[in-house]
Amino acid sequence: MGCPSKGATGGGIVTTRVRLLVGTTKGLFSFESDAQRRDWTTSGPHLGGWEVYSALGDGHQGDRILTGTSHMAFGPSVRVSENGGGNWSQIPEGPSYSAESGFTLNRVWQIVPGHPSEPDTLFAGVEEAGLFVSRDRGATWAELDALTKHPTRAGWFPGAGGMCLHTILIHPDNPQRMWVGISAVGVFRTDDGGETWRTCNEGLARVPVGTPHPEVGYCVHKMVLNPDDPNTLYMQYHQGVFQSNDGAESWFPIENGLPGDRISAELGAPFGFPIAVSRSGDLFLFPLESSEQRTMRDGRLIVYGMRRGSDRWEPVGDVVPDEPRHVSVLRDALTIDSLEPYGVYFGTTSGEVFYSVDGGVAWDRMPGQFGRILCVKTWIQEDQDAA
Amino acid sequence: MPLEVRIPPMLRDCTSGQTRFSITANTLEEALRRLFESYPLLRVHMYDETQRLRQHVLIFFNGESVAWLDRLDVPVRSGDQLTILQAVSGG
Repeated sequence: MGCPSKGATGGGIVTTRVRLLVGTTKGLFSFESDAQRRDWTTSGPHLGGWEVYSALGDGHQGDRILTGTSHMAFGPSVRVSENGGGNWSQIPEGPSYSAESGFTLNRVWQIVPGHPSEPDTLFAGVEEAGLFVSRDRGATWAELDALTKHPTRAGWFPGAGGMCLHTILIHPDNPQRMWVGISAVGVFRTDDGGETWRTCNEGLARVPVGTPHPEVGYCVHKMVLNPDDPNTLYMQYHQGVFQSNDGAESWFPIENGLPGDRISAELGAPFGFPIAVSRSGDLFLFPLESSEQRTMRDGRLIVYGMRRGSDRWEPVGDVVPDEPRHVSVLRDALTIDSLEPYGVYFGTTSGEVFYSVDGGVAWDRMPGQFGRILCVKTWIQEDQDAA
Repeated sequence: MPLEVRIPPMLRDCTSGQTRFSITANTLEEALRRLFESYPLLRVHMYDETQRLRQHVLIFFNGESVAWLDRLDVPVRSGDQLTILQAVSGG
């Protein structure tokens, strides 16, 4: 089982390093292993005292890590390390709204790389909701302001976590097409690289935000893109789990096998925050008790999965079968690596990190307990030694 | 006239690792201007995009919040202190 941590290529020996970047309310922690992912070393806290809502191991830049840091008093910033977390500096020209816009940037919820054909491009999703782009690997940032100038902007309303742009998806074959998710506003799509945007919420039930714009008011929690078909997207929504087969033109529920019932007022539609997809097309999520309670059902930390080709969710792993965990997993705190077999990782609101390398059936816990876990991101590095 | 500046340790990466240092100014207004000229990374943590002082940040001049001063062209004297604090209410 497992892929080798070292492999020979024509150019020498390739060593795979697996890193897990875990952002918490009190700094960033890094876990490192080889491709076997059995033994891990921990470092941190990096950026102690700062909330780390987003983290990106920049694959194009050696040991470069970018983070979206924020603090209740001292506001947001983007901080970067060029040596894997050894030293950090604040980017002087980080994302910032213009004074004329009237918006204020509170947190950086998401930092993602641009299309592979644009290796110097990064995107950042922020709260108060907006999208920023960097064309120089994060040194300077500019707002793609067509989004915040959208005609529906006056009707945007925050979810419980703030009005955050938390999801950025880029079409793998067409860098001009992107999707973003904003709570509790909805899904927007651009087909011209951010020059124009349109809402993509057909089939979703509007949440009661109390604003008059019917095109918005949709509480998308997290979206992922099917790795083989960029017209297919999956979404954990406030009221259910949805799929689109037409590039988000329309959505339909995929809840077969999940606890919850969209017909029953008592049970309610399946509620949760994160959703993740493997490169092979397997989906994972965590059904929570309800919108009101937002903790694991009956205190059991159970991962649900829908295997590729199936149309049914199943409880694939009971993570801590002998102990209750009345916790939640936040929208960016579940992720899957790109190795084979793939690893699944998540962090809880009570600060524990769990991982599985067998498709989510058996789980191990990283040593240590941390602050509330805000994001979990994998970073696979291939180091090539001379032959 | 030299003025002692104190900043929270969390922000020392904006001030070359220092939490206490001196700047020279004739007035409080000039001191604030020089502080942000010398350490521009500090500004984003003090003020939002609309240049409002962040809600939970306090700037004290000799133990008094500058928000309560009528004017900032106050002369700086030897031994004066400018302190940046996180406003705390409750536990």
